[in-house]
Amino acid sequence: MTMSPRVKTLIIDGRDVSATETTTILQAAQEVGMFIPTLCSLEGLSLISACRLCLVEVKGVNKLLPACVTRVEEGMEVNTSSERLDSFRRTILELLFAEGNHICSICVANGHCELQTMAQRLGMDHVRVSYISPRRQVDASHRLFTLDPNRCILCTRCVRVCDEIEGAHTWDVMGRGIASRVITDLNEPWGDSTSCTSCGKCVQVCPTGALVEKGKSVAESVKHPGFLPYLKRIRGQQ
Amino acid sequence: MSQHITIDPVTRIEGHAKITVQLDESGKVEDAHFHVTQVRGFEKFCEGRPFIEMPSLMARICGICPVSHLVASSKACDALLAIRIPPTAVKLRRIINLAQIMQSHALSFFYLSVPDLLLGMDADPTKRNIFGVLAQHPEMARDGIRLRSIGQQIIELLGGKRIHPAWVVPGGVNEPLSAEKRSQMLAMLPEAREITLRALTWFKGALSQYQEEIASFANFPSLFMGLVNDSNELEFYDGHLRIVASDGRVVAGRLDSLQYQTFIEERIENWTYLKSPFYKPLGEQEGMYRVGPLARLLVTERCGTPQADREREEFLATYGDACASSFFYHYARLIEILYASERMEMLLNDPDILSPRVRAHAEPNQLEGIGVSEAPRGTLIHHYTIDENGLIRSANLIIATGHNNLAMNRGVRQVAQYFIKDAHITDGMLNRLEAVIRAFDPCLSCSTHALGEMPLLVQVLNAEGTLVDERIR
Amino acid sequence: MSAESVKKVSVATVWLDGCSGCHMSFLDIDERLIELADVIDIVYSPLIDNKIFPEQVDLTLVEGSVSSEDDLAKIKKIREHTRLLISMGDCAVTGNVPSMRNPLGSEKILQHIYLKHAPSTIVPRLLSRVLPVHQVVSVDVFLPGCPPSADVIYYTLTELLAGREPDLINYTRFGK
Repeated sequence: MTMSPRVKTLIIDGRDVSATETTTILQAAQEVGMFIPTLCSLEGLSLISACRLCLVEVKGVNKLLPACVTRVEEGMEVNTSSERLDSFRRTILELLFAEGNHICSICVANGHCELQTMAQRLGMDHVRVSYISPRRQVDASHRLFTLDPNRCILCTRCVRVCDEIEGAHTWDVMGRGIASRVITDLNEPWGDSTSCTSCGKCVQVCPTGALVEKGKSVAESVKHPGFLPYLKRIRGQQ
Repeated sequence: MSQHITIDPVTRIEGHAKITVQLDESGKVEDAHFHVTQVRGFEKFCEGRPFIEMPSLMARICGICPVSHLVASSKACDALLAIRIPPTAVKLRRIINLAQIMQSHALSFFYLSVPDLLLGMDADPTKRNIFGVLAQHPEMARDGIRLRSIGQQIIELLGGKRIHPAWVVPGGVNEPLSAEKRSQMLAMLPEAREITLRALTWFKGALSQYQEEIASFANFPSLFMGLVNDSNELEFYDGHLRIVASDGRVVAGRLDSLQYQTFIEERIENWTYLKSPFYKPLGEQEGMYRVGPLARLLVTERCGTPQADREREEFLATYGDACASSFFYHYARLIEILYASERMEMLLNDPDILSPRVRAHAEPNQLEGIGVSEAPRGTLIHHYTIDENGLIRSANLIIATGHNNLAMNRGVRQVAQYFIKDAHITDGMLNRLEAVIRAFDPCLSCSTHALGEMPLLVQVLNAEGTLVDERIR
Repeated sequence: MSAESVKKVSVATVWLDGCSGCHMSFLDIDERLIELADVIDIVYSPLIDNKIFPEQVDLTLVEGSVSSEDDLAKIKKIREHTRLLISMGDCAVTGNVPSMRNPLGSEKILQHIYLKHAPSTIVPRLLSRVLPVHQVVSVDVFLPGCPPSADVIYYTLTELLAGREPDLINYTRFGK
């Protein structure tokens, strides 16, 4: 006998919400139009809770929980916004900005960048930590696309879309901690990759100007990830 | 006791600079120098960047003339793509370039120099600025604000923003012009012309008060360099370089600007971040040259638009013999604004100006590209090399203001020697040291750059192996 | 009420390692400069001839990052003598384009431009890293943008003059 998923009721920011038991707090909130910030999650891709922007307070739990991977439970009381959470989120963004070389004014994604938009939305207007100013080389070896690791925030959407939707698994992550970076195949130039199908999905899901189409000049890189949920549904991976 | 005067900072110019004057025991001027005190290193840190980002990156060299860098940089990138951009795109780039000439010259004349020219070189320093002009001669201040604003508004209508518009791109421009915006621009140009003619009338009348300044403000024979078109008329976008001496001799009638490294060399000094270019075939002394508005008027045979031509002829008829004085940069600037307004009107009325075909697309097809244009302050060259993937391998820039370094230094010395006779130094004398620099309208944020690819260091050693001399070639 | 009887707010504008674009954007307020001149007194600026930063300034707009020893000394002095300090533009707020030399270091830059002959007298030494203003002195208002538009600069000034804190986060952002 198949059991349909049970419906749970919970409270988010003082508001009664109901959702099936397989729904995450993030999905439940988004379904009723409530905003919880995220950068690594994208509808249609698996969830990894890497960016930690979606951390929320849950009554009775003494640590913050990532809303994107935490399933709703009956009677949960969730707080998505508080002084503490706002401060943590701004700090996360500051660390992201300080880790790479994010120069918005001359970036191809200027004006169309999720990192930039998030900073504005969360009220982050300056970085208090020292900029690391790493040396990172651009990979422009692919005929159609460019990777600029100075703008990469390691959200790994590119890794996931290439693996889960295109199936090529060209992208992966090398290194640990602050030395982590995305690579193609066995850390070869993207243009030499034998697995890449040049589909461009990675470019479309990249939230910043790290992955872009060649031929786009400053502020011209607009992404269109809308195909994702549709593709995922067609492949029956619901 | 010998005295050392320092003016720090030099005000009412763009960028950071100091002037120092060395006096001997009797108070006579021994020497004077113009020191540029900033450098950022654009040519080095752009290495490894995709070339398509260069125009907007290079725009950040300067907030007064970003359009100049956008244009020269995009032309260099067009060369990397090995394409010819659509004719409408050329015309649109010409228009934004001219709008910048208008606003930049208006800034230089009204905001930075009119305080000296109208209120007087010796005026109270606390009032000797645009606010002082506003208080005492509001119509002049309003004229200046309005004229600069018209230039800026044209840039904004074309490029989306007034400063650092990302509209000029490799291959052309990224949006065509609408009929609505064209009408708005055309509507403003007559007023711009009226203001300029008013300023010219006033300035011509005021010149008699400035005999000493005309005599001493970097007034010496030199070469002059600028772009001209095939008819030897004023040219800001394309054309070839022409060098004329102050006595009217044509020294080089047609130089290919792409070969600039064969005729421009530089000297590094220990006391300024700005290098000193000179015309190689004539050496460091005879090869000093000036660029910018005065130079352009002198290297051309005519401007190419009616009212500007009339004014230019009147200028040469009245002051032709004294035209080597850099004081006349101010005069030339006004004539160029007039030219810009006339030329913009012609371009805006071109039947193809609203065409939607304004951008060519291609992949890199050449590993080296050079783009040349005339910025408000003089000839500007952007020279890039890229690797097979389109990443910048090297960048060299010849910046307008840089060409004038030798002349500015000599000018400062000349003014010091003319006005400072003993240890009694007035504020007016010090102001004149700055005013000669202001005549050149330097853009110092722009100016401090590298020149020359793989410069060769030549050392001369004597028999004992001691260094006797060292040159960079 | 005549202009003399109302005490004007003293305003200074400074450019450190910037391109002067933010100052140009300030001037892009066009004719609004005329009405502003009735209520503010520009006491130090590249646009005027005063060479010495005054003892006490109400409001200072700082453009540009801190890139040389001159910039460093200047900004410290400015902070000491000003009540409200506004970081104006991305260079002052984040380092922006000048900070692109940080991954390389200032030595490489000078070597590239001047080989072994980097100027060493009179001109200020470059710092090893370009810094945004608030990583050197405390800043009261952040005004991002490259450059921030004339409208947002005008808004910021008029709000501050009215004694209010400008609400900038929705109005401007990095790179705008």
